Amino acid sequence: MAGDDFEPLIIVYTCYWCSYTAADLAGTSRIQYPPNIRIIRVQCSGMVHPNLVIDALTNGADGVLMCGCHEGDCHYREGNLRAKARADAISLMLEDFDLEPERYRLEWVAASEGPRFAEVVTEMVDRVKEVGPSPYG
Amino acid sequence: MPSSFPSPLSQDGKTVGAVLVVGGGIAGMQASLDLADAGFKVYLVEKEPAIGGHMAALDKTFPTNDCAMCTISPRLGATAGHRNIEVLTSTELLKLDGDAGHFSATVRRNPRYIDATKCTACGDCAPVCPIVITDQFNGGLSDRKAAFKLYPQAVPNAYAIEKKGIAPCRDACPAGQRAQGYIALIREGRYADALRVIKEDNPFPGICGRICNHRCETECNRNLVDEPISIAALKRFVADQVYAEPYVPPQPTPRTFVERVAIIGAGPCGLTAAKDLALAGYGVTVFEALPVAGGMLRVGVPEYRLPAWIVDREVQEIVDLGVELRLNAPVENLDDVFAQGFSATLLAVGAHEGKRLSIAGADHPDVLVNTSFLRDVRLGNGHALNGRHVLVLGGGNVAMDVARTAVRLGAKQVDMACLEARETMPAHAEEIVEAEEEGIGLYPARSFTRIISNDGRISGVEAVTVSSMGFEPDGSLTLETVPNSAHVLACDTVILAIGQHAGLAFIPADGGVGITHQRTIAVDPNTLATSRSGVFAAGDATTSTSFVIEAVAAGHKAADSIRRYLRGENLESRDDADLPVVKLNPTEIAARVREGEIELKPRVPMAALEAASRRRSFEEVNLGYTEREARAEAARCLQCGVCSECLACYYECAAGAIEHGATARTEQLDVGAVILAAGFELYDAHLSGEYGWGRFANVVTSQQYERILSPTGPYDGHLKRPSDGHEPKRIAWIQCVGSRRADRNWCSAVCCMYATKQTLITREHAPGTDCTVFYIDFRAHGKGFDAYYERAQEAGVRYVRAMPSAIKQDLATEDLKIQYALPDGRVVTETFDMVVLSIGLQAPSGMAGLADELGVDLTADGFCRVGGSSPVDTTREGVFVCGPLAEPKDIPETVMSASAAAARAMTLLAAARHTLVRPKEYPPEIDVAGQPPRIGVFVCHCGSNIAGVVDVAAVTEYARTLPDVVLADHNLFTCSTDSQAKIRDAIKEHSLNRVVVASCTPRTHEPLFQNTIREAGLNFYLFELANIRDQCSWVHREHPEAATRKAEDLVRMAVAKVRLVEPLQRKSLEFNHDALVIGGGLAGMTAALELADQGFTVSLVERQAELGGNVHHLRFLLNHADPSGLLKDLIERTLNHPNIQTFPGAEISSFEGSLGSFKSTLRKAEGGRQKDQEAGEIPRPLSHIPQPPEEIAQPPEEIVIQHGVVIVASGAQPYDPTEFLYGQDERVVTQVELEATIADRPDDIRQLRSIVMIQCVGSRTRERPYCSRLCCGQAVKNALEIKRVSPETEVFVLYRDMRTYGLLEPFYREAREAGVLFIRFEADRPPQVSANGSLQVVVHDALLDDDSLLDADRLVLSVATVPQPDAAELAQLLKVPLTEDGFFQEAHLKLRPVDFASDGIFLCGMAHYPKKAVTESATQALAAAGRAATILANRVIEIEPTISHVVEEKCDGCAYCVDPCPFQAISLIEYQNEAGQTKKLVAVDETACKGCGTCQATCPKAAIFVWHFKTEQLRAMTMAGLGK
Repeated sequence: MAGDDFEPLIIVYTCYWCSYTAADLAGTSRIQYPPNIRIIRVQCSGMVHPNLVIDALTNGADGVLMCGCHEGDCHYREGNLRAKARADAISLMLEDFDLEPERYRLEWVAASEGPRFAEVVTEMVDRVKEVGPSPYG
Repeated sequence: MPSSFPSPLSQDGKTVGAVLVVGGGIAGMQASLDLADAGFKVYLVEKEPAIGGHMAALDKTFPTNDCAMCTISPRLGATAGHRNIEVLTSTELLKLDGDAGHFSATVRRNPRYIDATKCTACGDCAPVCPIVITDQFNGGLSDRKAAFKLYPQAVPNAYAIEKKGIAPCRDACPAGQRAQGYIALIREGRYADALRVIKEDNPFPGICGRICNHRCETECNRNLVDEPISIAALKRFVADQVYAEPYVPPQPTPRTFVERVAIIGAGPCGLTAAKDLALAGYGVTVFEALPVAGGMLRVGVPEYRLPAWIVDREVQEIVDLGVELRLNAPVENLDDVFAQGFSATLLAVGAHEGKRLSIAGADHPDVLVNTSFLRDVRLGNGHALNGRHVLVLGGGNVAMDVARTAVRLGAKQVDMACLEARETMPAHAEEIVEAEEEGIGLYPARSFTRIISNDGRISGVEAVTVSSMGFEPDGSLTLETVPNSAHVLACDTVILAIGQHAGLAFIPADGGVGITHQRTIAVDPNTLATSRSGVFAAGDATTSTSFVIEAVAAGHKAADSIRRYLRGENLESRDDADLPVVKLNPTEIAARVREGEIELKPRVPMAALEAASRRRSFEEVNLGYTEREARAEAARCLQCGVCSECLACYYECAAGAIEHGATARTEQLDVGAVILAAGFELYDAHLSGEYGWGRFANVVTSQQYERILSPTGPYDGHLKRPSDGHEPKRIAWIQCVGSRRADRNWCSAVCCMYATKQTLITREHAPGTDCTVFYIDFRAHGKGFDAYYERAQEAGVRYVRAMPSAIKQDLATEDLKIQYALPDGRVVTETFDMVVLSIGLQAPSGMAGLADELGVDLTADGFCRVGGSSPVDTTREGVFVCGPLAEPKDIPETVMSASAAAARAMTLLAAARHTLVRPKEYPPEIDVAGQPPRIGVFVCHCGSNIAGVVDVAAVTEYARTLPDVVLADHNLFTCSTDSQAKIRDAIKEHSLNRVVVASCTPRTHEPLFQNTIREAGLNFYLFELANIRDQCSWVHREHPEAATRKAEDLVRMAVAKVRLVEPLQRKSLEFNHDALVIGGGLAGMTAALELADQGFTVSLVERQAELGGNVHHLRFLLNHADPSGLLKDLIERTLNHPNIQTFPGAEISSFEGSLGSFKSTLRKAEGGRQKDQEAGEIPRPLSHIPQPPEEIAQPPEEIVIQHGVVIVASGAQPYDPTEFLYGQDERVVTQVELEATIADRPDDIRQLRSIVMIQCVGSRTRERPYCSRLCCGQAVKNALEIKRVSPETEVFVLYRDMRTYGLLEPFYREAREAGVLFIRFEADRPPQVSANGSLQVVVHDALLDDDSLLDADRLVLSVATVPQPDAAELAQLLKVPLTEDGFFQEAHLKLRPVDFASDGIFLCGMAHYPKKAVTESATQALAAAGRAATILANRVIEIEPTISHVVEEKCDGCAYCVDPCPFQAISLIEYQNEAGQTKKLVAVDETACKGCGTCQATCPKAAIFVWHFKTEQLRAMTMAGLGK
């Protein structure tokens, strides 16, 4: 079902302290990545409710990428660990909604990892391209 | 019971409430933030163009492997954004006058050449900059441009230009040509750009490239290497290249002024002025008597040197700007010009009248004159010289032109005669050579007496030989001739070439314009004004003959004066402070040659016509460079000024931020105190030549390696070795490079740990990499360090205890062979792909000079000496020091000392707190409640940074279609001052109540725009930023359409959110300003006193009946200070301080509340001492206990204390050993017991033949895997003291690693020199102790790999330091964590070493971790006091509004959110509702909540949310992102 011309739309939640900064750094470093993502700034990866992720995926998002600080780097001590714990719950919910596990991904990206942010985004886009458009699209 | 707000103290009207902090690294930032938070104005001075210091260059930090940038980045932002901190980058402190409390500091603000307030950090300047230099931030492993940003996340987020000064070539040029600039551009092949920068200063590149006397080349620094750059030839090349293209006339310049200027004379001077004045917006008319323009260039210089087309081309370009040129228009009378309505006139008539000789026969018709002769030839009214014998009289360049022209006109023979000797002829040497090549004969040193003619034909010139010549002071000539030397120089035609002067007949005698007796026009040399108002004169007419470049310079100057005259300004131009001229010295050049940066290479020669063909034609003699030749010649430039001033950045910068003319300026700052936080420099690895750094590509320093590992480093975080880019498989680290040597007698304290970090990170990058660390002692003396070291060993990092003697390089593979000795003496060689030198820290090189100016003492090693009242006081009162400037130290210790220094400054200036800080005043807020959203959207072009990719107009148009958007507009730079004013006006005009800016990142620009809308009366939070630059145009350059769609989406998402946002207010809470300090040891008393001295009320609780803690054990110190005196003083000051209430013999029984409103209950410490003894505390000397004050001798059962903050200083205690017969044999003692004996009964020591010390007793074991830090220093101290009182006593120290870090190292060396024997044992083979009559110690000497048997009269155990037995209990009461080792756990190991994660609770002393006697505990105690004061100093606690909020109607008290809260800010409460039912509900402690939102993501009922980041707001953005 994945046509060559399928351009997925991916919602990215980035914590403000590490991953958002990394996305900025990718920008200042002019590292190119596919224009398929829409970044939403959150204070901490731990503040995004799992229902919101599911809402996004059942309203046409082909994928959701959650980016937080590396373990130990969290500006709020361990909000990112909460996000990590929730990732498991989210994968179970994906099953309930008949969504492929590749559509949700949690990644740690540090403030200095501009290249990595671009890499993670590129990989995510490629992966979702393989999976194909959202059944809810 | 909120206590009274204590500050300000008594105002003395003299103390200045501002502090100067020198150094913008982590120490400087910490000190600044603390002071600023505590109500002081801070000037943070940093010599680099950005703050961040060394930490900004680190990849990760030990021992947590935290990303350095992640941890430092919020700190950078906080510092730059703090309203009380003024960050002065590129600034240096020069001197300090005045006294503590009221200094006057002189600082020099060096120009960054890019206005940071205008720079948008778009980076457009860097790609166009032709100057490529090595990037020292990346350890020289990559290149950068002269226009640069120090590092990607630099704060201030702005570019700067590295410029050392003016290159000598520019300095030497009268017109200030930016020669280095166009040379750099030629090297890059950018010829049009090169011509553009030349024309900035000189409209005649093609002309000057041919005939300039190029003083630039004389001054060129390359003269010191081989030959100067062929600057003139390169200029000519550029002109030729560009002029070979079809001529494109420039756009006529717009006329902005009504005034018209007349210029008389279309020579280089007049035309230069004409161009300048036309560009300045004036009408300009040039009157020229001749039928051609160009003056002497066109009618004086012969065609073979300067083809006429070049002159015509360059003149035409000026005319095409809109200058009116009237040819054949001699001005007969100056007054006529004014009659034509010109407002000003420039006389630039040149010197076109040739001088005649007043000797007999000079009026013969065959005696020609230089100027008219040359003019006739150029204008085609040629003289037929066929077959003539011409004699040219004169030896200057014009004479050469005349003679060589005569050759080309067919003269049979041309000779020249002149007054000067051959060597002193004024003509250029190359001209003379070329003239001779063309067959011209020379008669130098001749004076002429008459021209002889026969039959109406000239037959010769009679001359005498000159023996010497000179000039009188008034300029008149003196000659001595050889007697009887008269002779005749044969010729039939004479051409006089002895000078020329201006034709000034058009100036009426009564015209008011003065003439000098040299027949030049008299002018004011500064303004070029003549004596008649509105008339100016310049060029040869004022100076007599000079070079074209001088005429150009004079033209500029005249134009500037005329502009001032017409604008009614003072004619004298302001003197810009000059940049220094960069003179390279031979040493510098030798170094650059050695580094291979300069290659010896003579100048590229220029081809020329053969002499034979020259004689026959007026073809140009010099043929110019080919492109290849020109670029090769340009590449020889030494780039003296670094920045070449090519102005490429200036033309590129759309924000107009480039200011090449900026100059350094000095300023005076009034401050009360100074904190020196200038950091450190790294050792120059060149100096350890045996390791080949700089010669072997794959030997790198630890700093370079750090950058290699960094994602923003030279290899984008890919592990590569420099020689071939291959991933190294075997890497070696060599420790102590530049540390622990006789000449550098200190330990750099951080290298063991950073090397270990690098090994671990290396293996994260490439798990299979072999990592080997060569070291002497492994120094892991900090908190969590030994565990980290263990981790590395477990991960397979190999540690080899050996110091390599040398590194050799395999020529073919560039692999490295390390040679080192095994313990048995065998020398082995191992091969590695790469070697990292762990280079040490040293004081910054500029420190010595600065210390002199400041009057602070340095140690012999150059570190800042601490002295006086605290470990952060320098020897000058009011000047404090922190960080590695005083002693090498790691980040947490640096941060501690910074907070400590801040505390000391706060205490000194307590009287002036809050006097120099003013809250910003805003207009009243517009009430938007109940209004439907009216949104304004402002889309930014960011020059071309956004608009170059994204269709900004389309995005703006699109924004207008979005719901509730009433206005959408776009601006070139939304952040510019005028755009911000536009936004404010729009808010008023359109009654906007929400604003969206679509531009760059909120990280740098959100506060700015929030401030803008607040100034227009809108709440800060009614704002949203769409990041369409960093997240869109910059990262999707190749997809402009997709980027435009995405930008529209991002705007739609921002609009969706902003529709739902609410105005939010910071809350201010009244709070209690008292402090509670737990623990009455050195740390507790120090902290209490520092706060009390600042005016705060402190309660000090000590479980023991006496104050003093472990300091009672100290009998002497390494620095010879007297610990008992110190302790006595501390105790007395504490007990007598009016602001301190002491509760000895008491402990905390309950603790509740949060920041600002803590409540602690004290009870009598019933079992305190007993508990200690159970835990093995050795009996404490109790002899001089001060009696507790009367009123608390019998304390009531409980005392309740209200306080706003608490400092935990509960200490630690020595381990009670069971090892090595301690407690069984009285000859086995601890170091503390030994110390007492040495101090009290030195005679006992003198009885002892041998004392054996064993280190690490109870430390670094399975049960206590940490290093106790203080014991190595303690052993060295006691060993030295033994040697002092009893030199005959043998002392053995049995150790695993001697951890005499930092400035303890010299004492270790001293002990070895004093004969103390240090024997190392391995952890798995500890010493064996037996007592059969005598005490015997068997130790397996790891160095000799052999057992040694030592008889010990006394065995001394260096025991571990262990947490207080009730630490866990206290931790539980305070709800703060402990480490696995049982010490208190701070909020962040690196950057918050004295804070707990719970606000208002601070930590210091050994409760945190073992500390070196006195100084380290005191430093941390001061730091804790300083941190506490940042809260207490404020009247209210301000609470950020973006925190959690409970929706009471929805909350059913399920409490799912309580546990996940990382800050324990949520609690479950029960209450009775109106119906009498018991209900549950959660409540948020607003002072503890940080707004992370973990709760909102946990709540199943959506009953708790974070303001401004509500799930519904995030959902709205999400749906908008999905187009819903």
